[in-house]
Amino acid sequence: MRSHSRRIATATAVLAVGALALAGCAKGGGGGAPSAAASQTPLENKAVSAITVGTAADSTGPAPEVAGAKPGGTANMIDRDDFSHLDPGRVYLNYNSSVSLLFTRQLTNYKEDASGSIKLVGDLATDAGTTTDGGKTWKFTLKDGVKWQDGSAITSGDIKYSFERLFADFITEGPDYAETWLVPDPNKPFRDQYKGPYDGKELDTIETPDDKTVIFHLNAPHPDFNFTVAMTGYGAVPKAKDTKQKYDKQPFSSGPYQIVSHTTDKSLELERNPNWDKNTDPIRHAYPDKFHMEFGLQSQQSTERFLADTGADKQAFTFHNAVAPERVQEVLGNAEAMKRSIQGLTPFTTFYNINTKRVTDVNVRKAIITAWPAKQLQQIAGGEINSGKIATTVLSPTVLGYEASDLYGKLAKPEGDPEAAKKLLASSSTPTPTIVYAYNQTPTQEKITVAIKDALTKAGFNVVAKPLNPATYYDAIGPVDNQYDIYWGGWAADWPTGSTAIQPQFDGRLIADNAPNYTHLNVPEINTAIDQANTIADPTEAGKAWAAIDRKIMEQAAIVPEYYQTYFGLYGSGLGGVRFDPIQGEQSALDIWVK
Amino acid sequence: MTSFLVRRILGAIVILILISLITFYLFYALPRDPARAFCGKICRPETLTLIRHNLGMDEPLFVQYWHWLSGIFMGREFTQFGACPAPCLGYSFATQEPVFSAIVDRFPVTLSLTLGASVVILSFGILTGMLAAWKVGQPLDKIASSTSVIGASLQIYFVGPLVVFAVVDTLGLLPRPSYVPFTEDPLTWFVHLLIPWVVLSIIFTANYTRMTRSQMLEQLAEDYVRTARAKGMSGRSVFFRFAWRGAMIPIITIFGVDLATLLGGAIITEQTFTLHGIGELAVRAVQNTDLPMLLGVTVVGAAAIVFLNIVVDVLYAFIDPRVRLS
Amino acid sequence: MTTVSWSSEPGTSRGPEPFLSVRDLSVRFSTEDGVVHAVDGLSFDVEKGTTLGIVGESGSGKSVTNLTILGLHDPAHTEVDGEIWLEDQELVGAGASTLEKLRGNRVAMIFQDPLTSLSPFHTIGRQIGEVYRKHKGASKKEARDRAIEMLERVGIPQPATRVDHYPHEFSGGMRQRAMIAMALVCDPDLLIADEPTTALDVTVQAQILDLLKDLQQQFGTTIILITHDLGVVANTADNVLVMYAGRAAERGTVREVLSKPSHPYTWGLLSSMPRLTSSVDVPLVPVRGTPPSLLNRPAGCAFHPRCDFPQLVGSDLCFTQRPDISPENGHGDACYLTLQQKRDIRTGDTKEQA
Repeated sequence: MRSHSRRIATATAVLAVGALALAGCAKGGGGGAPSAAASQTPLENKAVSAITVGTAADSTGPAPEVAGAKPGGTANMIDRDDFSHLDPGRVYLNYNSSVSLLFTRQLTNYKEDASGSIKLVGDLATDAGTTTDGGKTWKFTLKDGVKWQDGSAITSGDIKYSFERLFADFITEGPDYAETWLVPDPNKPFRDQYKGPYDGKELDTIETPDDKTVIFHLNAPHPDFNFTVAMTGYGAVPKAKDTKQKYDKQPFSSGPYQIVSHTTDKSLELERNPNWDKNTDPIRHAYPDKFHMEFGLQSQQSTERFLADTGADKQAFTFHNAVAPERVQEVLGNAEAMKRSIQGLTPFTTFYNINTKRVTDVNVRKAIITAWPAKQLQQIAGGEINSGKIATTVLSPTVLGYEASDLYGKLAKPEGDPEAAKKLLASSSTPTPTIVYAYNQTPTQEKITVAIKDALTKAGFNVVAKPLNPATYYDAIGPVDNQYDIYWGGWAADWPTGSTAIQPQFDGRLIADNAPNYTHLNVPEINTAIDQANTIADPTEAGKAWAAIDRKIMEQAAIVPEYYQTYFGLYGSGLGGVRFDPIQGEQSALDIWVK
Repeated sequence: MTSFLVRRILGAIVILILISLITFYLFYALPRDPARAFCGKICRPETLTLIRHNLGMDEPLFVQYWHWLSGIFMGREFTQFGACPAPCLGYSFATQEPVFSAIVDRFPVTLSLTLGASVVILSFGILTGMLAAWKVGQPLDKIASSTSVIGASLQIYFVGPLVVFAVVDTLGLLPRPSYVPFTEDPLTWFVHLLIPWVVLSIIFTANYTRMTRSQMLEQLAEDYVRTARAKGMSGRSVFFRFAWRGAMIPIITIFGVDLATLLGGAIITEQTFTLHGIGELAVRAVQNTDLPMLLGVTVVGAAAIVFLNIVVDVLYAFIDPRVRLS
Repeated sequence: MTTVSWSSEPGTSRGPEPFLSVRDLSVRFSTEDGVVHAVDGLSFDVEKGTTLGIVGESGSGKSVTNLTILGLHDPAHTEVDGEIWLEDQELVGAGASTLEKLRGNRVAMIFQDPLTSLSPFHTIGRQIGEVYRKHKGASKKEARDRAIEMLERVGIPQPATRVDHYPHEFSGGMRQRAMIAMALVCDPDLLIADEPTTALDVTVQAQILDLLKDLQQQFGTTIILITHDLGVVANTADNVLVMYAGRAAERGTVREVLSKPSHPYTWGLLSSMPRLTSSVDVPLVPVRGTPPSLLNRPAGCAFHPRCDFPQLVGSDLCFTQRPDISPENGHGDACYLTLQQKRDIRTGDTKEQA
């Protein structure tokens, strides 16, 4: 009796599951893994056309009006995660930077114009800083009329304080370029040389002769220091309002908006800062009265809501969530949705590190790149729009100085060239080398591993695949003497010049456990070239030097470049001025207005 | 009754300390290094060492546990996060918010969900079970029993979205489930939690219907029920006043166990209906290997279950005088 | 089947009208395995103010008979035929509310195990009181006072305190007394005691039996005492009914049945009893065989598979035709052996016993 009714129950349940699955299919369109990109139209991912340093005139506000924009209304932001840090000194992620632009200002910042060219201009400063000694001493002058949200003036003392507090022992998450350059000895830990301002001591290398002037005395020439201080990490913090650890949840505003409330993992509310003067600000607008930000939405959910475009979602945008991979085809085919779409090249590049300490023969390394099945991998990852453009250089097109070059003919033969690879191996020390390939153990990566293994095996390699636990991936590949030959990595320059794109990863003197030089490349010629490029004052000339280093690294075949990462996202029909921020690689809030 | 309570509470404290100790060792013995999360993109070794020191992770495990335990009563000072007033359960490695306030903030959600569901489950389950026992063998009994089997075969993550789709999206009868604080507006709080309560109860009620029915039938066959009838007590009085009490004892026992399941099931329920409760905290803590949050949620969850079991025991003593004196 | 029905027999008035009269009672249970004939054509009378002892082994139908008197059987699976007359009230056909009014009021029952038969969740006072309140419409205070009074009457010390105790706080003997108090609270005319002393030890047993006798003397209650223990019957009852397989085997006064038993089953019962006077090494003689299945009863006399004497009857009556109780009045038995045969066997047995 009992088993009988249980069987009926199971049958009913099965029927109902089927019904639900059908309902899901009918409503949403394609389900399942991202399909092959056979019918996908490649989107136009424009590289930035130029990166230059602007003039004082460029640095003057107000920012040019956005066509059709009007003030008022509330703009909504929906995203997966809350902002992990809002204290500028603890911001490194582009995600936190994007929102910080609304309430944190730096000495310098980036201004993008209609043609796609980017200028480094003065934000709080009157211009992008001046140096007369090749970058060892930098002088910035603060604008008139820059104020905190309570109306008090932003002074040079605040700027100095903002740098000093970065030495405190609880501020560990942000960049530390400036800290390393502002202490007497750049080769010793900077926290040993200065402990921060909380015990009353000051940092002598920052001079403030008056309330408006800040002079930085670096321990070595750094011609792109003005780019460095454009990072959110060097944003201004008022001495009078520094709540130390609590500042991370609710910073004091110098920008167009101030924080009303922040409920962790739930919401962030911003309203207009009445003491922000738009005439002092060359890049920001403050059209909406309020920003309402909500967290906890996976990309499937946000894509769903953007497509539905109802209610408050009409006035919604997102910083980080992209179109969910399984809905990309559908969105591409939806003309109405495409009108509200954004795409662009992010600063991120991905590549496969080749451990030059273990794979010592450069011909073997060259053979790896030659045999690599780039096109197939791109298909597995869901096509260009879900992964990125096939890369052939170290530098991303978003970096000043990028030069297109394709040493290994990957653009001509993106599926890989096993014959050519075999020839390279024949002329190397080991015609049939064994290669240990370590990868993140996820379903997609399993498929990619199969493809890599196939391609390399055809070229004569013997591939040993080692799966790694995603939670401890970086712990596994971090040690200098790790036992792997090839492992994936990704990088973005901290500012768009070659310095931070190349040096941390390919300077042989920076090899250490858990340091970014995962290839362990240590070529004296490259190290010297890096030192030289770091001293070139003119950014364009410097760019040429970095491009040359890029080519040298590729000649060393230290990495197999994978993608110049792309972003594809949506926003609601009730917003205007939503654009892509090429510096952060996300949607920008600075021009948004509510229709 | 007082000495009974005192004994149980002391026992509960011992259990909680044990649980926290075991959990602590289990979690902190994991190979993952949480210090990395507090380091910048380019992480220098000296910064990593500093962070480890800030987090107290360079101390022996037992000392770390002691800090955690004493922090609950006396509060703690964290370099990385600032002061943490008592009761301090540490700071989340992922969000840098105090674990205790995160849990307290989300507690009403899980509590409303679980308690509300309990009320629905118990009332529905017991009522239908008694009805089935009252009309044993008749069609009503058979209907009650078979629907209960169907109910017990269902799963929240399947029934939940189905009900929402039907009731909210298609028929528009009720608003989308969400949490509105009870203190803000009791009526809205009620209406917005109705669907999750009903869904939870569809699955759990079945059990109680069957149990109540069988317990009632068993009790009705008991000798003292026969005596009651022999004394001339009416059928209804026998059913409701006599048989009922004996039947409730095993039911309350089972409910004490089920409460743990309900609280655990709250994780799935919260995910299904996007309610921001402790379940969501727990899931995220696991995904991020957020050790302090994991520890906090585990201990608080254990404390809740222990406390609720004490309540069940007290209830027990109320119903059955034989328990009171032992 | 002939029935024993003294009052309907013309011309024979054997003393006063029987207080309780069971006439041709049959009780059948439908079970998964078939129909169980628990009681099969049973008739007996009980006179007012007397004690009838009903004796039999398990499965003889004695408890079922008494539950049926009060209508406590399960109506869904039980079929009852025959009549039960309580003075002028017929019980088998009576409605539920009539029976409810009688139970605990005119007819009361006490059960074998007082621990399981009393509700563990209510105080003794409450359990006694609620019968009083139900049938006499008393208030809570009146009921409680009456409960204290009853506890005193059955000999429980400190009744005013103990009235608020729970059954598990009483000893076995006290519990049974409390149950008796509960049964007697409305001064019932008929008390049915179903194995009231089986769960108690011997000394307590004696006390309870004495109590019952005292109460009968004081209040004139008619008592039906169900037991498997002949010793209890000898001590307390006036009349005896021996039951076997749902039927009456022998009935009469205690004196008649115990000193001159006339049914082979009764002989078996008596000889299987240990006696204080017999010597220790005389073996007990149990009745051979096992009780019959009430599903498939043997044809003819229910006892014949275990009886040593059917061949003496001459014909195969024992195996084919059920014997009626004869004679119809006084000391009767359901056996085909002649009086002479019975006397011979009995004296032969008695000789062996000496």
